[in-house]
Amino acid sequence: MDRIELTTPLSRDFRAVVRLIVGGIAETLDFAFDEVDDLQLAVERLLAEAGQDGSVNISFQLGSRSVRTHVGPLRERAIADALQGPPPEPGELNLRRILEAVVDSYGVEDAADGAIYVRLEKLREAR
Amino acid sequence: MRQGARTRTPSEAAKAREQDRLLLRRYHQGGDSTAREELIERHLPLVRSLARRYAGRGESLEDIEQVGAIGLIKAIDRFELEREVSLATYATPNVVGEIKRHFRDKGWAIRVPRALQELNASMSNAIDRLTGRLGRSPSIGEIAGELKSTPEDVLEALEVGSAYSTVSLSQGPGSEEDLDPMETIGEEDEGFDQMETRTSLEPAFDRLPEREREILRMRFEEGLPQTQIAERVGLSQMHVSRLIRKSLATMRDELA
Repeated sequence: MDRIELTTPLSRDFRAVVRLIVGGIAETLDFAFDEVDDLQLAVERLLAEAGQDGSVNISFQLGSRSVRTHVGPLRERAIADALQGPPPEPGELNLRRILEAVVDSYGVEDAADGAIYVRLEKLREAR
Repeated sequence: MRQGARTRTPSEAAKAREQDRLLLRRYHQGGDSTAREELIERHLPLVRSLARRYAGRGESLEDIEQVGAIGLIKAIDRFELEREVSLATYATPNVVGEIKRHFRDKGWAIRVPRALQELNASMSNAIDRLTGRLGRSPSIGEIAGELKSTPEDVLEALEVGSAYSTVSLSQGPGSEEDLDPMETIGEEDEGFDQMETRTSLEPAFDRLPEREREILRMRFEEGLPQTQIAERVGLSQMHVSRLIRKSLATMRDELA
């Protein structure tokens, strides 16, 4: 399984760079336009919730028609709370609902010092 | 020729405000796009004046004015006739906000090569054409093939499109690329819109234009793919994608 790793400042100045990299990786797996867009949106929203200070690691594990992305360490407890707390109620718009719509699965993994890593899994539709 | 800096007398200012009101009524109640254009023209000196404050920061004044003009157009489109404030007062924070946002996170994108801008301009139609032909969303490689380009350039051009695009001042509210918040689709949504504040993004949701709220509801509550949303609202898939991203970013920014 191929692996790509990236460390980027959390500052929004680098969001466009991250989007391009995510797009490029998804493109190598022949993702459709909307699938590329979904994965970019998932990573972008996670980073947006993570604040602007410090840096974050993003790793991509490339399968034959899937990409597993790990983003962290994230220190905003609100992210873990949103992703591990009760399911959103109908009409409730939060990070969890966004991720549920744009990736096939996600999970939260504990890291050192109370930080977390978020795992995102995106599959390419069979065609 | 740019308007000089002569200060208006109180009666001139009152007359100008009344003229703005008449034009706003013609535009919002009568759908008169020429009134919209006239309003834009009348307030471009305000945009220029505000833009000059941000000159010398690595962007040409012309580019800053163009970004500021987007803020002005949004203010005109969003202005509610019941408001007691003048259009100039209402537009000023919109123009400044647009310029600041540009410097904050989009400044890199306005200096893109013309070839990428042209590629971006042709992309929306190509995606919709391919979606119709293939019966599914096309891959980046397929879009590149359709446009005789490369996947790398397509990705870059998509990124260009996510930044502010150049806006024609004569563009009417019916244009596809015009984010006309007054445009309404369907019924008032009963999903996100009526929920009480519960999560981080909710407080800002109500402040989005109705069309954006409806698109978010379709995407995240109904779980519809972009292609179906695009069909329902009569926009291109690419435009729907941009509106979703921009709406979420706007909501987050408002709460920051």
